[in-house]
Amino acid sequence: MNDASPIAADASLLERPSDDAVLTGRERLWLYFAVGLGAGAVIALQIDIMRVFSVGSWAHFGSLVVSLAMLGFGLTSAVMTVAKDWFVRHWRGAASVALGLFGPLAVAANLTVQKLGFNAIFLVSDPTQKWKLLQMFVAELTPFLAGAVFLGCVFLKSNRTFGRVYFADLAGSGICGLIFLAAMYVFVPANLIVVPLLLWLAACVAWSFGPGGRAALVPYAVAGALAFGGHFLLAPAFGLKTLAVNDYKGVSYARKFPDAKKVFESASPFGYLEVYSSSYLHFAPGLSDNAGFSLPTMPVNAYLGMYIDSDGPIGVMRDLTDKETAYFRFLPMVYPYVIKKDPKTFITQFGGGISTEVALHSGAKDVTVAEGNRAVLEAFRRPVLRDFTGDILSKVRVIPYEGRHFLASTSEKFDVVDLSLADSVGLSNPGGFAIVEKFPYTKEAMETYMRALAPGGVLSVTLWNKEEPPKSVLKLYATMAGAARAVDPDHIANSFFVASSYLSTATVLYKNGGFTPEEIAKLRDHTRAMSFDEIYYPGFVYDGSQTDATLQGYIEQIFAGAAGGPPASGGNGASATDAAADDAAPPSGKADDGVLPATVMGRLAWHALIAGDWPDVASRYVFNTHELTNDRPYFAAYVKTGDLPRVTDRLELLQDEWGYLLIWATLGVACLTATVLLAIPVIWGWRTIFSKSRGKALTVLYFACLGAGYIMVEVGLIAHFVMALGNPTVSASVLITGMLVFSGLGALVSERILPYMRVAMPAIFLAIGGLLLSYALFVNLALDGIAALPYGERLVLCFVLIAPPAFLMGFPMPTAMTTLGRLGKDALFIWAWGVNGCFSVIGAAAAPVIATNFGLGAVIEIAAFAYLLALPAFFGVIAVDKSVANA
Amino acid sequence: MRRREFLAGAAGLFGAACLTRAAVANVPTPYSLDLNPPMDSKEKFIAWGVAQRGEDPKFLAERFDRFQAMVRNEDLLNDRHKRAFLLTPREKFVLQQNLGRAYDHAFLDIGFGVTISGPHIVGRMTSNIDPKQGEKVLEVGTGSGYQSAYLSHLTDKVYSIEIIKPLAERTRGIYDGLIKDGYNEFGEITSKAADGYYGWEEFGPFDKIIVTCGIDHVPPPLLQQLKPGGIMVIPVGPPGAQRVLKVVKTEASDGQMTVARSDIYGGRIVPFVPFTKLEGDQIVGTHNN
Repeated sequence: MNDASPIAADASLLERPSDDAVLTGRERLWLYFAVGLGAGAVIALQIDIMRVFSVGSWAHFGSLVVSLAMLGFGLTSAVMTVAKDWFVRHWRGAASVALGLFGPLAVAANLTVQKLGFNAIFLVSDPTQKWKLLQMFVAELTPFLAGAVFLGCVFLKSNRTFGRVYFADLAGSGICGLIFLAAMYVFVPANLIVVPLLLWLAACVAWSFGPGGRAALVPYAVAGALAFGGHFLLAPAFGLKTLAVNDYKGVSYARKFPDAKKVFESASPFGYLEVYSSSYLHFAPGLSDNAGFSLPTMPVNAYLGMYIDSDGPIGVMRDLTDKETAYFRFLPMVYPYVIKKDPKTFITQFGGGISTEVALHSGAKDVTVAEGNRAVLEAFRRPVLRDFTGDILSKVRVIPYEGRHFLASTSEKFDVVDLSLADSVGLSNPGGFAIVEKFPYTKEAMETYMRALAPGGVLSVTLWNKEEPPKSVLKLYATMAGAARAVDPDHIANSFFVASSYLSTATVLYKNGGFTPEEIAKLRDHTRAMSFDEIYYPGFVYDGSQTDATLQGYIEQIFAGAAGGPPASGGNGASATDAAADDAAPPSGKADDGVLPATVMGRLAWHALIAGDWPDVASRYVFNTHELTNDRPYFAAYVKTGDLPRVTDRLELLQDEWGYLLIWATLGVACLTATVLLAIPVIWGWRTIFSKSRGKALTVLYFACLGAGYIMVEVGLIAHFVMALGNPTVSASVLITGMLVFSGLGALVSERILPYMRVAMPAIFLAIGGLLLSYALFVNLALDGIAALPYGERLVLCFVLIAPPAFLMGFPMPTAMTTLGRLGKDALFIWAWGVNGCFSVIGAAAAPVIATNFGLGAVIEIAAFAYLLALPAFFGVIAVDKSVANA
Repeated sequence: MRRREFLAGAAGLFGAACLTRAAVANVPTPYSLDLNPPMDSKEKFIAWGVAQRGEDPKFLAERFDRFQAMVRNEDLLNDRHKRAFLLTPREKFVLQQNLGRAYDHAFLDIGFGVTISGPHIVGRMTSNIDPKQGEKVLEVGTGSGYQSAYLSHLTDKVYSIEIIKPLAERTRGIYDGLIKDGYNEFGEITSKAADGYYGWEEFGPFDKIIVTCGIDHVPPPLLQQLKPGGIMVIPVGPPGAQRVLKVVKTEASDGQMTVARSDIYGGRIVPFVPFTKLEGDQIVGTHNN
């Protein structure tokens, strides 16, 4: 660290004549356009790949592939650092060729990936799938490598005026992100690749009018023809799919029904929505088995299947006659109407409309429904769904945004608030659910629902109970009990009634002020009539003798034979003894009186939650059962962090957790790859290329902090802003655009502070740190506050919220890069860019890991710390080399 | 005269041999309840399988290895079930590209977004419903056809419905091909392409029902077509970690029907079996690493 002693940067050094590429004013302008459009094409391709994965496969694998592909920037930087002289001499040609290759490579990579037929479901059981995953990564890496070489060459020759190209880079990326958002209304996912291709072609034209020269136009035209022709003509001619939907996605099954017919389709940032009709579609989520003996028939041809991004189906019901709706009383969402007559009902999430239909047919005198997905509401207003449902939306009051935000902003009270299977699809995905924020289920949301109840009003929440050992339901129980304790601690023991059906659904009722004995009697009668299991009611007595066996049994179920786990008693790593095959005493977890372990666990959970000793029970349970909060709104991440090393040989048991496990895998691979990439220049030239550079260690630290800090703010805020914007794609687009454009403006302005940077930059770092810490603490309150406003106003206010930190975060990178350039630290200059890129990937992978373990606020807090750490490191960056100083 | 008799006899024998050959093709001994494969030795089983069933010794060896793992794991209820497993050529029901993994303890893709379940879970589920000879069993979701083929060695009344028509036709084609080859037991399987939600009223009521397709509720028509005292099993959850829901229908003395839900482990918490890799008859870790 001795060579990193801060030495004042001589102002005269910083004002040396530019060694940048010699370009006319007009050429330079075209260069900026080319950089902006090229960087925009790269970001558009990233979002496009994520969308294609969401629709065709599973989104979290898209995140994995894109995150790692972005390491192309680190690889390029490493190579350019080592071969800097060659790139300095041939920068124009290298940039021209790389730019020209981007489009055809993007198309070829997509066709390769679609043809590979990667199937996440067989990732563990089929060894070939791991190779396919690797091939996908390599294929998707190629266009990003081309983009990185183009931008790297331009940066290399703009090292004295870095702020301006960096502005073009960021602003271009940001604006193109917004263009992509708009394009999602125009193109179906299979053709969204057109957006990066068009941006790339525009970049080619701009480059040709600038440094590339007009002669480049012809080969670029050929590359353009190749790219567009490859996607639109060659692919169909050779039977290649541009978006192959996995056979295991919900929509693939609907398409195979003999009488299936797509009756509606819409594309928007709110998802690619398809609706199919078929007599083979049947919906009655959680239907009591007793319906089979009490109903002569179930309605036929009564449903449409709605699929969002190929996931589903979400059932849409025909306008049923009273006779046909007789089965409603066997559904779990009918529970609140057992004790509430003529209620005023609020449905927090409309979905396919099943809760709304139940409310309308159960005597609700007034029904209000909220739906945050505007595409869904739009679909129900179009003729196909409007006619099929008998224009259901005309029978209710519609709130076109998230229900929790409406309830938080109104003084209106309701007799029934319903949240039933709102995310039913997400919890039963075969590919596992990704790390998705479930804000409607957080403790804060539950408190809002509870406070919106009229005196005696009932909150009814129904969730899938198909997991064994139980996972999501235990988190729901903990969350609702936590909310009740905050809202009305005195009546908590009398305020809940809980029933479930094994491997089906669980319903939690919360009554404002507590249930009366008559109501409990009615609910228990209904539960018996439905053959559901009683989990909790006021006065329920839990048999504590089952606690130890149940908790230990579940640990054995997952970890038998694992390192540090209980021993396996069976011959092949298990002791699966069949009841019919073996009359000996069961190994563990035997339930008394025929009560199933999952039911015992539910009863134990409620007993402990009401008695206040849940933390002890939760710590002994096999999985994480923390309550959902606005800071940690995740049903996923149920594997305890300390258990992660023990699950690697039994991943198939945790298939619904793969989204979470993948983020750990991504982080591991990102760290490993980044280390290798960073090691190349170090091994190659720490003592040669960088030998004259003072402050090199602090410079590495500085750019590592910026890389990780910036992306963590971006990723962290995307997750935060979902709460106000109601959709991850819109949130991502708004954040990417807002962050990059405002940071670009910061970069542009940064040139002016160069002479005063020793004073200005510390102040800027402190301001960034302070702002980020306050955002970590308070941004949720701000977002909660604006979430009930009209969507346009929300968008504008989101940009306003993003602007202050983003603008300031635009300063550190160009200031340091320009300084390195002007101080003649050319090798460090290009390597710094790579360090920044590598730590961006690590930061992006670390953000969800931190969020799920410590909360979204922690992601922003760590980013703030990274910026504060960059403050002292900055003085290493501006340390003048001895040779330069002596000169 | 004697020469004529000899020639006639020889021609007759040749003709009979040809006819028999055409009828049984690759399976020398037609199926009957008396057909009992050896269970005490791999070598004996392979020799028996080649001689009696005309099957490939490589797959016979793999089947026996998996058989031993399943016996150790108590996935096969009794000798009837052990026999059924050993008699069912799983390799005939997997895709060509998965032939090498036919006897792995893993579910395999069979196209159309459908899997063939791993041998352990098939054995465990079938043991649980324990169909007796003559009992009617309905399968909803024919899929690969392996489950029904397995059942056909336990009862002569197997009915199977598949919702995906091309898959139903492909599997019917596999059955017909195997019947032609001499697996006459598969002739007991009655199958059709239809919506299994409504069961198969024409052949109901059923003693046992196996549902192998995803649904958000137990279809009331299936409960109606299940005999009192009958058992229905339904796998729930992701393919690698499925729990099998067991539904038992009972009739009270007053004639009222009730349904009890449990899982096939009889209300006990049972450790999952990770996908194990076999090398010979040894387990050498799992497919995860």
